Amino acid sequence: MQAKEIMTKDVVTVSGSATISDAVATMKAKGLRALIVEPRYHGDPYGIVTETDVVYKVAAHGLDPKKMHVYEIMTKPCLVVNPELGAEYVARLFANTHIRRAPVIQKGLLGIISISDILRKSDFVENPKSDFDRYCKENPGAREARIYD
Amino acid sequence: MTQEVVTISGSATVAEAVKRLKDKGLRALIVEPRHSSDPYGIVSETDIVYKVAAYGHDPKAMHVYEIMTKPCIVINPDLGVEYVARLFAQSRIRRAPVIQGGLLGIISTSDILRKSDFIEKPKPLFLEDRIDVARAEARTICKEKGETSPDCAAAWDIVEELQMAASDQRSKEKEVAEKSSFEVYCDNNPNAKECRIHDD
Repeated sequence: MQAKEIMTKDVVTVSGSATISDAVATMKAKGLRALIVEPRYHGDPYGIVTETDVVYKVAAHGLDPKKMHVYEIMTKPCLVVNPELGAEYVARLFANTHIRRAPVIQKGLLGIISISDILRKSDFVENPKSDFDRYCKENPGAREARIYD
Repeated sequence: MTQEVVTISGSATVAEAVKRLKDKGLRALIVEPRHSSDPYGIVSETDIVYKVAAYGHDPKAMHVYEIMTKPCIVINPDLGVEYVARLFAQSRIRRAPVIQGGLLGIISTSDILRKSDFIEKPKPLFLEDRIDVARAEARTICKEKGETSPDCAAAWDIVEELQMAASDQRSKEKEVAEKSSFEVYCDNNPNAKECRIHDD
C-alpha cells in the first residue's frame, strides 16, 4: 500500500506568524493533532506544528500561548513523504527519525500521514512484508527469489 | 484524563492489540500488573508502528510483551496539569496511566491540549523559586545603586508582581481544595431543598 492510499486528505495549514492560541483553537475545532505551515515563497520548505510541540514547549513551561507564535515552536524544514512511498517504508522512516506524522507532498500539499493512519488503514497485520518479501517482489528474477517459488 | 481505558495482557499477540485499538479508537492500551507488586505497562500505536510495522514483522506472531514499555511512568491523579506537561516533555512521552489504588484513567498530550486551561490561564512554574531569586537580585541592585534609585524600585516591582501571581495561584487552589462538603453536595444535587435557598 502506498502513502497516498492511507493518508488523511483533510489537512489544515497555519501561518508561522499565527499565535499558539490561534493554532490550538484550529486544532480543537478541526479535531487535528498537527497543522502544516505552508512555504512562504517558492523554494521555502514546509513546516509542521504538532500537539506535542505545544505541550512540550509551551504548556510544560507555563508560557502564555497568546503571546507565543507558531514559528517559535514549529519544525521547519520538516520531513515530507512522497505519495508513492510504501506504507512499510513510511513506518520505517518514522521509526528511524522518531516522528509520528508528516505531510505528503508532490508539487503541493496532498495530505498528511500519521502512525494512526498506518495502524488503522494499512494492511501490515494481514500482509506483513519482510525485507526479503519485498526484495523478491522487486526482483522477481533474482535467484534467491526463484528458489522459493 | 480520559476515563475510558482498555487493558490487555502482555501475552496477547500484537494483532489482538491492533484490533482492540482500532475497535475502541484508542492510541494506547494499558498492560495490567500480573500480581500485586508487578508494575503497570503500556503499549502504544507508536510501539506497534516503530517496532512491528516498520520491520515487516508479522503482528500475529509477535506478542505485546516484546514491544511494551513496562514499567511505565504513572501519574498521580492530584498532579497539576502543568506538571504533567513538564514530566511528559522531560521524559519524551505522550501518555501515561493515572494510578491511585488502581487504574483510574489515562492522560495524554491531547487531553492537556484540549481539556486543560493552559491557554486561558497559563500557570508559570516554580514561582516561589523565582521570587527568591528576584528578591536576592533586588537586594544586590539596591545595595549597589542606592535605595532610592529607579533601578532599585524596578527590581522590587518585579518581586511584587511575582508575589501577586503566586498569591493569585494559591487562592485559586484553596478555593477548589476548601469547598465545604455542603457545597459539594449542592454541586451534585442542585435541586435539593437545602441548596435552593442559596439561589434566592
